[in-house]
Amino acid sequence: MRSVLCYGDSNTHGQIPGRGPLERYGPGERWPGILRSQLGPDWYVIEEGLSGRTTVHDDPIEGAHKNGRTYLRPCLQSHATLDLVIIMLGTNDLKIRFNKPPSEVAMGIGCLVYDIKELAPGPGGSTPEIMIVAPPPMQDDVKEWKSIFAGAPEKSRLLALEFEVLADSLELHFFDAGSVVSCSKADGFHIDAEAHRLLGTALARAVDAIGWSRST
Amino acid sequence: MRFAPPNPLRIADRASGLNALSVRSYNERLVLSLLLQNEGISRMEIGEKTGLSAQTASVIVRSLEQEGLVSQGEAQRGRVGPPTIPLSLNPEGAYAVGVGFSRRRIDIALIDFIGTVRFHTQLPADEANPFPQSSDLFGAIGQAMTSLPVEARSRVAGIGLAVPDDVDTMAATRNGSSTSLKALQAEIEEQIKLPVFVQNDITAAAGGESMFGVAKPLNDYLFFYLGARLQSRLILNHQIYKGNSSASFDHGLMRLESELAMRGRPSEIIWSSSPEWPDLGEAYSAWLGECSDRLKASISALTQFVEFRTVVLSSYAPQKIAEALCDDIGREFPGIEALPARVTISPKAVGAASLPFSSRFMIQ
Repeated sequence: MRSVLCYGDSNTHGQIPGRGPLERYGPGERWPGILRSQLGPDWYVIEEGLSGRTTVHDDPIEGAHKNGRTYLRPCLQSHATLDLVIIMLGTNDLKIRFNKPPSEVAMGIGCLVYDIKELAPGPGGSTPEIMIVAPPPMQDDVKEWKSIFAGAPEKSRLLALEFEVLADSLELHFFDAGSVVSCSKADGFHIDAEAHRLLGTALARAVDAIGWSRST
Repeated sequence: MRFAPPNPLRIADRASGLNALSVRSYNERLVLSLLLQNEGISRMEIGEKTGLSAQTASVIVRSLEQEGLVSQGEAQRGRVGPPTIPLSLNPEGAYAVGVGFSRRRIDIALIDFIGTVRFHTQLPADEANPFPQSSDLFGAIGQAMTSLPVEARSRVAGIGLAVPDDVDTMAATRNGSSTSLKALQAEIEEQIKLPVFVQNDITAAAGGESMFGVAKPLNDYLFFYLGARLQSRLILNHQIYKGNSSASFDHGLMRLESELAMRGRPSEIIWSSSPEWPDLGEAYSAWLGECSDRLKASISALTQFVEFRTVVLSSYAPQKIAEALCDDIGREFPGIEALPARVTISPKAVGAASLPFSSRFMIQ
């Protein structure tokens, strides 16, 4: 059986758009669940979605545990052996408190990739396949998050290109979530159940397209 | 760890359309060549055949997809094993124009990326002046390009010319024409603003068959081209060899023409691209027998020196002629498979059109 780790933020956690942080779509509805059902019994799908997770920043307000980099190593080691790591992060880095351009967010992703390669949690101590997923662009209207995400919607539209540049340069698999889904109008930066279904289905296809040998 | 910003360009952005003559990387050419040879292979198979890692193959395929050169098919879910996603060359990803020069006619063809002829026309030529008026030729090339929808025209990769070796001397000695091949090439490049590639006509026809036809999977084969004359090339390990002597056998369609003339019968039909000929009677059967004997003699002579298991016979003449000759060869040599070529609409022009593809997209 192969293992895939889905490492992300609230949109991997399955937070329902426009609702509180404790309200979450069911295991079969969020995209890792869709991925699980699409990939079938040959795959073990591990969900690691934390609301507010950034690529490499301790969040001064929400807490140091939102730092995607410090949690990644223990997480990888806990779930090893991993055949594939899917990373969908970046939206939270656009909060005004971090004051980062899109290119720097991509470099944050680059740090995570570096850590994965260094830890090599793949089969036989190899580097697992790594897929970078660019989060879907935010809506212009992010409701009561307007001040927190000041300037973020515009930056969010540039993430896909920056992430793809990074994926080309580090030779990684890449998928642009914005090519299949958009963020819900309810809060402007979370994806709804239908989007989870579409994203999970598209990612299953992208995982298949990597090509896996018959033996596991 | 180096904290350098990544290379500022997406790989797919580098080429900025087909007309930027950027150097395509060896790995991209490798993947395109594999896809030309094996339609519908998966990224994993690409990795296995090239030694590229899955992630490197992924980057290359992504970039080729964005350029529109490669397209993904539907997932194939087999009963065993993980599903695979087949990749193929996108037929609409690139086009090329080929011009094939023959004694009696000039063929102009436009082919797509997998070698399908999308447009074909002919200009008359005669032996005294093998090059047409350049305005006619530009007109025909222009017609070929405008047969494409406007948005596809920028995807024409170039123009190929398939030219008999003696064309320059022929033109110069017969009528003192100053049109040289080099001048023609320069003029086309200047007028059409596309790169022009030149190759010997028979070699080009063999190359076209290797790229798109029955010879795709073959490393070694003997290639015959039945045109005005009967000419041959030997292909060993994908290299096309041409005999040193300029000899070509006088058992081609010119011979049929004289057989017909001897019997006072019209012969125009054999120089047309008509898919069927009327019953040409005794002249035809006499010629076919001679032609078959000549082919068998050549094959028999060559088998003394080189091992090959396949003969490919190419001609623009009706398919049943090639089939009849191949049947004959098959009967005579049980160990050799004789195949009529798949490219039947002007093999020279299609071969010529394959030149821009091999130069710009494939490994040599």
